[in-house]
Amino acid sequence: MATFEVAGLRQVYAGRTVLALDALSVEAGARLAVVGPNGAGKSTLLRLLAFLEPPTAGSIALDGAPVSGRAARRVARGRVTLVEQRPYLFRGTVERNVAYGLKVRGVPAAAARERVNEALRRLRLQELAGRDARALSDGEIQRVAVARALALEPLALLLDEPVSGADRAAQHALLAALAEAQARRPLAIVFASHLLEDAYRWADQLLALHQGVPSPVTPENLFRVDLPGTSPMQRVAVGPLTVEVVTDRGGPATLAIPPEEIVLSTSALQSSARNVIAGRIVRVAEHGAAIRVTLDAGIELVALITRRSFDELGLAIGTTAYASFKSVAVRVF
Amino acid sequence: MSGLEGEVLGIATLSLKVALTATVAACLLGIPLGFALGLTRFAGRRALLVVLNTALAFPTVVIGLLIYLLLARRGPLGGLGLLFTWQAIVIAEVILAAPIATALSAAAVQAVDPRVRRTALTLGAGTLRTAWTIAREARFALAAAVVVAFGRVLSEVGAALIVGGNVLHETRTLTTAITLATSQGNFSLAVALGLVLLGLALTVNVLIQLFQGRGDV
Repeated sequence: MATFEVAGLRQVYAGRTVLALDALSVEAGARLAVVGPNGAGKSTLLRLLAFLEPPTAGSIALDGAPVSGRAARRVARGRVTLVEQRPYLFRGTVERNVAYGLKVRGVPAAAARERVNEALRRLRLQELAGRDARALSDGEIQRVAVARALALEPLALLLDEPVSGADRAAQHALLAALAEAQARRPLAIVFASHLLEDAYRWADQLLALHQGVPSPVTPENLFRVDLPGTSPMQRVAVGPLTVEVVTDRGGPATLAIPPEEIVLSTSALQSSARNVIAGRIVRVAEHGAAIRVTLDAGIELVALITRRSFDELGLAIGTTAYASFKSVAVRVF
Repeated sequence: MSGLEGEVLGIATLSLKVALTATVAACLLGIPLGFALGLTRFAGRRALLVVLNTALAFPTVVIGLLIYLLLARRGPLGGLGLLFTWQAIVIAEVILAAPIATALSAAAVQAVDPRVRRTALTLGAGTLRTAWTIAREARFALAAAVVVAFGRVLSEVGAALIVGGNVLHETRTLTTAITLATSQGNFSLAVALGLVLLGLALTVNVLIQLFQGRGDV
């Protein structure tokens, strides 16, 4: 049975529709990544799935039962937990914070202590148990918040940008703890991220949002840019690179370079493609019959190519490759 | 103990009793109302805030007069026989201090990070537990509300004179005694009473500070 079953969901703030999601199903034990740029509606979706606010329209069923009305949301909040992007830790020690939800649920002190210790151990936070929660680094705060959520053994865990404040080691501890929690029992995890890399590495289901609606574009190679707007053929700064795009727009925008539109080669191609970018291959992942190749060119570019091309070109991690794509292939939002 | 010392002690004790009773009652009324105003949105909330802010600046003698008229023998509540009792002073001072407790606690909970409420809710807390969690996070500002309310009632003189009548051993508080001593030219007694009043204010504030500090890591 699906943990979440969403139908016809609409959320409107001050007359503006910030989220419109016709259908979404999250199975028990699934990992759903919600990706998209800032303002895409990711956090709104998480707040709705956390039953913190009622939707303007539509329904959300939790574990097969529709949740509507204040009382039902209150009960559902006891089974679903949200960790915000910048989690709040209450005054007091780390231990006290992790124990909060257990105390709310009336778990006896001895059992609660055991579960708190267990959660702290899984997030490698034992040494911080007695520390003042206000004296932690961002990464530690994030992990304490996840420990506080996991201690409750929820049906679903919602995470908003879970690895944003963490360094590599902390990220690893966090993801390992989540995987471990899922291995023990069915736990649906929904996490919002603007980093597609996280999403692809970690999720088994993907929802790309753009301006509140599911985006038809593969949410890879999305870049926030400032368009000069001088002519239809524009040269746009993307990190350290310059990319040529065709658009009439100017000002802040999102560029999307569809991975299947990128041609990889071992030398710079002489072709009609206006953009040729050299980079080092840093990651290679199977994607069905195709291979997803991530190129570090100052920005990370992902190309989708066939296994045959990959083998014939002799590509491997660490080798240099050239990514070519036409300026008309670059989509502008 | 001389007669004068005993008299001062009696006045100080009565002052403290009136001030503490009025502060506790004002906070019991005001703080929950402040929470409701600070945390919920309802029709008439803004109008209520305007009334509340006006009440903050209400002249104490006007409150004294209103309570006097209510409690006077021929007044609507005259049958209670409360006029010129310490309870009458408490009633007047609750009316003066409750808006302070309400307004300051509303401001205190409004200033709490909005994530506190969401975090408590998402961890499964109900309405009361969430309010308690918010109170814990706002405890310094809430303690300030209590201190200000206490300061208002301890230093109040106009209403206490009108509804208490400044009756020795019955309704004579430190402030009304100072007023009387000053009008009689007994400045040394007035100053001595003033120092006692200051001492009381200081002691209670120190106690609240100590209480606040407890439980902090």
